[in-house]
Amino acid sequence: MSHPSTDSVSPIDLKGEMNMQNILHIHSTEVRDILHALAAKRDEAPPFFLRSPITVDCKAVESELEALDFTALIEGIKALSFVPVGIRNVSDDVVESVTKAGWAILRDSKAKKAVKPTSTESTDNTGVQASSGDNTDNDSAESEPMNESLGNRVMVINRPVRSGQQVYSPNGDIVVLSQTGAGSEVLADGSVHVYGNIAGRVLAGVNGDRSARIFCQGLEAELIAIAGHYQLLDEIDTPLKGQPAMISLDGDKLVIEPMI
Amino acid sequence: MSKVIVITSGKGGVGKTTTSAAFATGLASKGYKTVVIDFDVGLRNLDLIMGVERRVVYDFVNVINGEAGLRQSLIKDKRVDNLYVLPASQTRDKDALSMKGVESVINELKQDGFDYIVCDSPAGIEKGAFMALYFADEAIVVTNPEVSSVRDSDRILGILQSKSRKAEEGGSIKEHLLITRYSPKRVEDGEMLSVEDILDILAIPLLGVIPESESVLQASNQGNPVILETKSTAGQAYEDIVDRFLGETVEHRFLDVEKQGFLKRLFGK
Repeated sequence: MSHPSTDSVSPIDLKGEMNMQNILHIHSTEVRDILHALAAKRDEAPPFFLRSPITVDCKAVESELEALDFTALIEGIKALSFVPVGIRNVSDDVVESVTKAGWAILRDSKAKKAVKPTSTESTDNTGVQASSGDNTDNDSAESEPMNESLGNRVMVINRPVRSGQQVYSPNGDIVVLSQTGAGSEVLADGSVHVYGNIAGRVLAGVNGDRSARIFCQGLEAELIAIAGHYQLLDEIDTPLKGQPAMISLDGDKLVIEPMI
Repeated sequence: MSKVIVITSGKGGVGKTTTSAAFATGLASKGYKTVVIDFDVGLRNLDLIMGVERRVVYDFVNVINGEAGLRQSLIKDKRVDNLYVLPASQTRDKDALSMKGVESVINELKQDGFDYIVCDSPAGIEKGAFMALYFADEAIVVTNPEVSSVRDSDRILGILQSKSRKAEEGGSIKEHLLITRYSPKRVEDGEMLSVEDILDILAIPLLGVIPESESVLQASNQGNPVILETKSTAGQAYEDIVDRFLGETVEHRFLDVEKQGFLKRLFGK
């Protein structure tokens, strides 16, 4: 949480803060392959990724980093309209070329964040997996992660998600007991369940899980997305606007069905 | 036990200052020692609405900077006992407010035995608004029946829930919705959001509805809190709000006959 400073004289405040950002785990040292796969990922949800900060995690290829062209990587990531923030898990012998290329070297957050198996059925498996880590968004609603079983976490939000708030449930579903406001964002790696109206943006399966679904008691969202396939509600012709609905992904199309 | 209440909205021009003046005046006339603080540093208005603009010597920023004592700066109202105004500074900006300074002023007011400390928030979600809400125990969110105002109120509710001191300590600010400038006729004609529409979107308890009324502008221009205009509908509606805030059950008025029937069903407990 940031506060206005108590001392109004200093022109700046420098503070450590956790921020939402994407971590790019690379499983290859071939820059061309990495960028190709990243571009495909981005194209799944261009508005979501546009100019979003990204950190590269080299854990999986830490021993082969001599082969990686760090300059080409940073330039390539920029060209894809991401903002490269830093890199982590780089071995000492390549530090010089890493810093020369303009990367900031970050400490690894925690061992638990180390490489996840590519279990999600994403359309690409050429050596890249985007995941979100370490996110403590400034404005996010408080939430209580519950029930850690089978590696799934369910996040339960027991009050409305307000305009300007963003809530994200990594590695699992999100359940909103109330409604979501216009201008809010609800994201989950798994499914999104809302026991009220959805009026903001709702993104399920943001990590590529195509089996994720969205359930709501009143469909009034601005934008809905599953596994990067997004759609503005105003562009969809459905009789279910304002009604209880379930949204799933069939091929490249979002399917909106009534709740039975 | 003193209570800090912030009057906020996000959007400007919806009636925060009018409400702050009327609400504080109402609490004071019920016998509670009340102070209303103008947090709109640089665009001070509360003193005008309260009719004390020519009595301002020291202001909120002077107190924060230690240039004046709190008692010197408080302006005692001449119409209602127990009512005090702490005006904002017109020549400074919001950066003059510091967290420590605001906290010490509020603590001092609490020690002085004030029952209610009403904070009149500036518009926006920047520093001034943040300072006004940070120390609050309860919030009155003022909304007009139109979409942009309602959305801004939704935003400010999110900020109340995540950035206030109560929220940081794991608690939550008690929220009240106040709809101002309500015109039943225009709601009927479909030009304005209805109370029901707004409640659907914001999902917080309704404290009251102030009907659109000419007497609000007149009262403001004369520097008279509208709650003292006991013949006007707006004045009466503000009286109801104060009673409701203090725990009385008062039926909602001025919503036209049909709407009243509906609201009775909704809030008739």
